[in-house]
Amino acid sequence: MIAELALTLLLLLSPLALGQTQIHQFQYQTDEQFHEELVVRPLASDHVNTYFQFTTRWHGVHKNLYHTQLTPRVIAEILQTYDVKELHIGLTQGLWRYETWGYPIVEATGGAELWAWFSSPNLTDDSVNKQWMRLANVFSGILCASLNFVDNTNSIAPKHIFRPQFMASGNRSHQFVRYATLPREIVCTENLTPWKKLLPCGSASGLATLLNSGYIHNTKYHSLGVKVRTLCDSDDPSNCLVELTQTANLVYDLKLLEQSNTDFSLRRLFGMGLNGYCEMASSSKIYVQLNEQGERFQLTPTPLEEVLSTVGGHNVLFGVYDIQQQFEGPGARLFNIAWIGPKGNSKREHTSPPPLYAHRYLLGNGQKHGRIATEVTNTHYEPLPVVLMELVPWYVHAYLHTLRISSKPQHLHEYTSNELKFSLLHYAPGKQRELPTHLEIGFMLPARSSALITIEVDYLLLKWLEYPPDANHGHYIGSAVIGSQLPIGRNYTALPLEGYLFQDSFNASQTAYTLTLRTEALIVSLPTPDFSMPYNVICLACTVVALAFGPIHSVATKLIIVERQTTIPRNLLRKVVHKLTTRFSQAIHQYCCQ
Amino acid sequence: MGLLSDPSISTHNKLVDSLAKHMRKLCYVFYTAGVAWFMCLALPEFNHGTYLSENALSPGLVYPEIRIDANRLALQLLEELQRERKDHQSTTPHAWIMAKFNEFGLETYTHNFTLRYPFGGGKEFHGKNVYGILRAPRIGSTEGLVFSAPYRPPSSVHDEITASVPVLLAFADFARRKNYWAKDLVFLVTEQEQLGMQAWLEAYHDGYKNYHSSSSYLVAGSLPARAGSLQAALNIEVQDLEVDYVDVKVEGLNGKLPNLDMFNLVQRIMAREGVTSGYKHAPRKRRRMNLSPYEQNLRQMLAMLATQATGVPNGNHGLFHRYRIDALTLSAAKRVTNSNVKSNPSSATVPLLKSIEGISRSLNNLLERFHQSFFFYVIVHNDRYISIGDYMPALVALIACSFVKAYLSWSTLDAAERHAQQDAAGNETDPVVFYTKLSLPYGFVLVYLVVTLVIGYMGNVLPLQKYLMELSIGAGPLTLTMLIALNVAGIALPFYVVLPPGGLELLHICMLLVYGCALIVIGLLNFSLGFLVAVLSVPMVVALNPSSTNGALRGLARLWALLLNPMVVIYTVVLVLTFYEFPELTFQQLLLRAVTAVMDAVTFALIDSVIYGNWLYFAACTVFFPLWIICWTLALAKQSDNEISQAKLKTN
Repeated sequence: MIAELALTLLLLLSPLALGQTQIHQFQYQTDEQFHEELVVRPLASDHVNTYFQFTTRWHGVHKNLYHTQLTPRVIAEILQTYDVKELHIGLTQGLWRYETWGYPIVEATGGAELWAWFSSPNLTDDSVNKQWMRLANVFSGILCASLNFVDNTNSIAPKHIFRPQFMASGNRSHQFVRYATLPREIVCTENLTPWKKLLPCGSASGLATLLNSGYIHNTKYHSLGVKVRTLCDSDDPSNCLVELTQTANLVYDLKLLEQSNTDFSLRRLFGMGLNGYCEMASSSKIYVQLNEQGERFQLTPTPLEEVLSTVGGHNVLFGVYDIQQQFEGPGARLFNIAWIGPKGNSKREHTSPPPLYAHRYLLGNGQKHGRIATEVTNTHYEPLPVVLMELVPWYVHAYLHTLRISSKPQHLHEYTSNELKFSLLHYAPGKQRELPTHLEIGFMLPARSSALITIEVDYLLLKWLEYPPDANHGHYIGSAVIGSQLPIGRNYTALPLEGYLFQDSFNASQTAYTLTLRTEALIVSLPTPDFSMPYNVICLACTVVALAFGPIHSVATKLIIVERQTTIPRNLLRKVVHKLTTRFSQAIHQYCCQ
Repeated sequence: MGLLSDPSISTHNKLVDSLAKHMRKLCYVFYTAGVAWFMCLALPEFNHGTYLSENALSPGLVYPEIRIDANRLALQLLEELQRERKDHQSTTPHAWIMAKFNEFGLETYTHNFTLRYPFGGGKEFHGKNVYGILRAPRIGSTEGLVFSAPYRPPSSVHDEITASVPVLLAFADFARRKNYWAKDLVFLVTEQEQLGMQAWLEAYHDGYKNYHSSSSYLVAGSLPARAGSLQAALNIEVQDLEVDYVDVKVEGLNGKLPNLDMFNLVQRIMAREGVTSGYKHAPRKRRRMNLSPYEQNLRQMLAMLATQATGVPNGNHGLFHRYRIDALTLSAAKRVTNSNVKSNPSSATVPLLKSIEGISRSLNNLLERFHQSFFFYVIVHNDRYISIGDYMPALVALIACSFVKAYLSWSTLDAAERHAQQDAAGNETDPVVFYTKLSLPYGFVLVYLVVTLVIGYMGNVLPLQKYLMELSIGAGPLTLTMLIALNVAGIALPFYVVLPPGGLELLHICMLLVYGCALIVIGLLNFSLGFLVAVLSVPMVVALNPSSTNGALRGLARLWALLLNPMVVIYTVVLVLTFYEFPELTFQQLLLRAVTAVMDAVTFALIDSVIYGNWLYFAACTVFFPLWIICWTLALAKQSDNEISQAKLKTN
């Protein structure tokens, strides 16, 4: 009971209170602001994380909707048209490896992911469904992604896992959230180009010039993100602010750069040095992590400024390059930062995994049924509250009665038979071809232990037109989303809720750190017919047999008896009645025809 | 009434009657046709050239990039491993392998498994596999490929294949530095032969399911990391870095085969890289034998049939097939030192490494699972195959005998009855005939069938009973004693149970139908087993005729039935094998040796069936043995108040 209470308390953040001060601090001098930032963090096992963040803040939503300078007008319009208060889109290729890389600054799952909060006084569930599909269609065009496949058959309304980050005027009961993933989506240059076009400087100048598709798609993980939220003054509902954050999160594998040592530089990562900053930008900065994995590198040029950030008892040292400062003065030049690693064979140090991480896999063989297993591991010395959300598509039937959470201490190999108890459970059963199964469970994960959540599923035999091209590739089940509240800030780099720049995360200690994780997506092999010549022959033969069966069966079993056609009854009374009725009907018939 | 329900249309007409007279001839024609068809398949006119059906494979589309430095690395690793082997006489140098995986930048994990040996009071054996996962840059761990190499400690009785692990590691190091992988690569080093592989696969696909149930003999343990759904696997067995030729092994558990595309892919790439390879490839000396192509083809076909029929995989790849992962083994044989062949040790493995690279890149290209080409085929030659559509007619022709015979016996049953009845009570009319057919002892025959089935099924259950396993006798004697006891019960059954009149005929028809169905099913699952059993047993089944009056023929049928007793068949096969293996033994020694070998064979079959899921033992006990008991009953032809046959029996 106490655990349950703690969990709900932890989950109920109050963004309204947090953000209120922010609004008042906001300077009204400029209508719009644009900031560009790049964070470079060397990771364990010769990986490098580079994170681009472009933030546009526009304070003037209600002044003139059609007059934006830095914010793309399409975004401003969409917010108004579809009552969207907050929107997250992620287009990702690859999987973030929590165990070796720690936590990312922005979370995303493989493929396309989309969730949005709608809020308006007279919204209903149905109208939100419609708005949601229209919104997805619009962004399908804006980002050239297959978001138009988002509809009610793969969308859910999460209950517990997502909390709004926007501040709307009006009461909270009129807030609706929708969530969908398209795990099969492949992210490529066709998404990068329109994404870059949303930036004020495009790819002409500034940090965005580094985003060359030839280089950033050769990474182990790349994720494009668009996040929009509306922040309104709680006292004055018309005083609102639109914040658009575009992120590009990349992980480079230095071993794939085809070089002998582990040195790298901006030029090597992105194909070119930096040729300047975006003139529209209020700030243009590069942050370089200097401690932890960054310790073994020497930087040239050395950063002008160093910032020590302590978050939840965890120290991170960043070197800061102010690009506007670097390019002061006339003359064209290129700016490059080089990381020079230690010479000789460096000993591979063991990295400790982050406090919480998760994996997912499919068990069972054959094309009839299987089990989805999600394994969540807590390496922290305190129990952690965990909320897990599963979106199981309609072509896979999940059975709630088979849901189990077994746990084991971390050092053991096998799961014991003791099961953890749910502290919350939300289950919306799926419906064939209409609704996905939506499952959210919450439980307390004991210290230094793992939990294995399994649910048994049946695979459906699809209609023959429902198979996608390349049917034998398998069907996808999107990743699970896992939410938690960490008491410590180890490996935690996400921005605080009220912040919008990367530097807002410096020294942003809180009582708890909200964390959401994404697991692997799964491929299931549904029973697939052999779509080939024999299959067509079988279909044809079956049709022929089915057509032939009827006549042959009746010939074989029935006898033709010729009966005399006598419709006139023998009984006198009935004869009369019969005659009358035929007459009557004939008369009516004639009357009608005339 | 319609055509089907009209009683005036008799089941016996002139045609059926005349056919029934020549039934045996007809059956022998079918039999000969089936065998002849199968023999013909070895002719080039009857089989087809292989081709690649899956376009995504596009073998050899890219130039191999693996260079001589990989070979150098393999050589260096082999030297290191040989040093390690001195300290690990009967264990695997796990630490060394893990260190290497780590050094190459792979995620490295271990997997522990336990075998609870069921016999002799129960012992526990522990094993440990090591695997490294190369996370592909182009995918979020949804699909994977497996490259495995078995490790054998120096104390192993099998061929030395120490070089497999260095080759695997050298390839892993090469692959780690490439960014085109679209499927996670799992590099797996297993120990304890197939047991390690089975445990790994079970742990991968069944997770923690087995742990709670104590009944399973192999406790597969748990895997700390996975790589999505596995698409294909390549098992590498390399005897030495200087490779003479590569034998491609395909036969898997229960005779399952990998997709023909995968075999063709391997053949193509091997040919491109100039590696001598082939299916059932033999050393140079034996290859020089002057055989006609037809004879070679036939030998290869029969060799494949023999391997497939046992249902035992001839390499670690065979266990993948159960999980619908196409897999095969590249078994590279050591080059025998020959002064004519000069080889440079510093580049000897490059062709093999290049072909592994080529195969893996083609598999990496796969968008879908293997599904295009054949899963059921017989390889005639390295580039010729027989598809299921071509070889099934042979089996169907053989089995058709039993169905034809069943139908003809059924349609002439009332005629025979009528003759008997007419002899007994003068003239009878048609309705009575109809009545006699209904009054046959169906219930009794059904009970008899069930009893034989139970006797057969006991063979599966009895040797695995707890109280018997706790006895201090070994597994072999225990199983053999059980089977012999059941055999004695089966042989004695017809002497104690006497069938009522008409029962023998009905039992005969039942037997023919069950036999035909069983063989068709077995033939579909494992063609080789079905075909071989059919070739051996169909003549006996055709010759069997419980109502026959020909004494000599009955005697022959009885002898044949006795010879086809499963235990006798196993003993004969083992005896012949022993004779070839140890030609120096005297006949008596040979007989004794064969007995112990049979004991081992039976035990291994039983263990295979409980650990790996090989159903040969199950089929032999539950299908073939009950059928044999019925055949034996029919051959003895004991039936109450059938004076004629009783009298005949006495004279015999």
